Amino acid sequence: MKAIIMGCGRAGSQLAITLDRDGHDVTILDINAYQFTRFLPESFGGHTITGNGIDQDVLRRAGIEEADAFVAVTAGDNRNVMAAQIARHIFGVERVVCRIYDPIREQMYHRLGLRTISPTREWARLLKEALEAEETQPVASHEGGGQMGAAP
Amino acid sequence: MSPSEVAPHARSILVPVDGSHASMQAVALACEIARKSKGKVYVVHVIEVKRTLPLDAQLESEEAAGDVVLSQAERVAREQHFKLEGEILHAREAGPAIVNEAIDRGVDLIVLGMSYPQRFGEFQLGRVVEYVLRSAPCEVWVCRHPPEE
Amino acid sequence: MYIVVVGGGKVGFYLAKELVEANHEVLVIERDPAKCAEIAEVLGEIAMRGDGCEAAIQERAGVGRADLLLAVTGEDEDNLVACQVARHVFQLPRTVARINNPKNELIFRKLGIDSTVSATTAIMAHIEQELPTHPLISLLTLRHGFEIVEVKIPEDAAVVGRALKDVVLPHQSLVWGIVDAEGNPKAPTADTVLHAGDEVVAVTLQESEEALRAAFTGPPPERSF
Repeated sequence: MKAIIMGCGRAGSQLAITLDRDGHDVTILDINAYQFTRFLPESFGGHTITGNGIDQDVLRRAGIEEADAFVAVTAGDNRNVMAAQIARHIFGVERVVCRIYDPIREQMYHRLGLRTISPTREWARLLKEALEAEETQPVASHEGGGQMGAAP
Repeated sequence: MSPSEVAPHARSILVPVDGSHASMQAVALACEIARKSKGKVYVVHVIEVKRTLPLDAQLESEEAAGDVVLSQAERVAREQHFKLEGEILHAREAGPAIVNEAIDRGVDLIVLGMSYPQRFGEFQLGRVVEYVLRSAPCEVWVCRHPPEE
Repeated sequence: MYIVVVGGGKVGFYLAKELVEANHEVLVIERDPAKCAEIAEVLGEIAMRGDGCEAAIQERAGVGRADLLLAVTGEDEDNLVACQVARHVFQLPRTVARINNPKNELIFRKLGIDSTVSATTAIMAHIEQELPTHPLISLLTLRHGFEIVEVKIPEDAAVVGRALKDVVLPHQSLVWGIVDAEGNPKAPTADTVLHAGDEVVAVTLQESEEALRAAFTGPPPERSF
């Protein structure tokens, strides 16, 4: 699979490294070239392109016309949403996933047919699950450690 | 020194009222000054209309509440054998509405009554008082009530 | 009309000023408190502090009862999202976006933003007349994918000396006016004869732009062999 990842932060670089290791053709984009040296190891076999992912010329340069997947994970919700919609509606990329922190905006774009992930919502859900799990099965407190499990 | 000696020149006074005890005391003070200076007192009650509604929207319960506040102010004035003029204003924000009214009527004093407002345990002047103090072209008196125990 | 302007920079400020002067009810949503204060200072209480892309802010701004939303921040992506939230959360049918990268016009249109305005395109329109490679100038983007364009007829064009009725126009294109080489505007009829140097003002679909340009500027067929 040929995948384009926009945004070389922690999440984007992690995904790029994993896909590259699995033998996929990966191109990762970021406005700031420093992000590549910061987050990608020497062994990274994919391509890196410096540029703005909402610029169609930059996306073309990244090979979006032949891409099977596009992932938008920059720090800006709006930028992710716009790039994802360009990938889908202009270039017809089949699998498009986009990160949106704001849960309200995430819901709206989900309803409009985008594959969206809201880390805010996911985190809240995971934290709630963790809390509820603690309630039903108290964890053994470590020696001299945390008070969460409150041993009797 | 009596209030009329401090502001003997105050021939027209604007008093914004929200129905609070502090605002009614401001009315009483303004009447006392105006009675001596043979001036006028204008009392305004501002209804802040949310942006979800047009400015001229019919807000019956707010209007009714405003009428109650104005008649309260009139009662305070009557106790001093004084007659004031009252008005209800519709605005997006009370501060600018009060300042604009002061300019339109050419008043030379605004008297504001305020309680001791606290938010998160800190004293806060509040956006209306702050705006009026900052923007009014005339003299402004603020009567702050003692903090509640 | 009630008009909500997202973005209180230079464009938003002067836009709001014009609209207020035209007696419209206007609200500007702006993130920067200093800019909000500046607007309030000059134009009165018509500025609201907040992120105009957020549904909660648009709700408070009363976008639900607005007639029009104009997204004029300096970022194309923010303008796109502000318009989409207005359209999809508040069912506001009429939205206009400012765009900086003219290549983004297509994605805005595909996503149903009625009109886009690009300073880049507007400035290009002024200088394109001097650029021989750009005989077609896009003057204005309209709704439903239409635009108003101007085409200058070159000396070697096949249409020179022919009547308008003999020119094969692309689907859904219409000639609105002709300004001749001396600068006289004419309302064209089917029998109007075209001359070199005529500027033809036409309405066309954006995808037919190229076909329209070819129709008015293409050389006669014998020369193209």
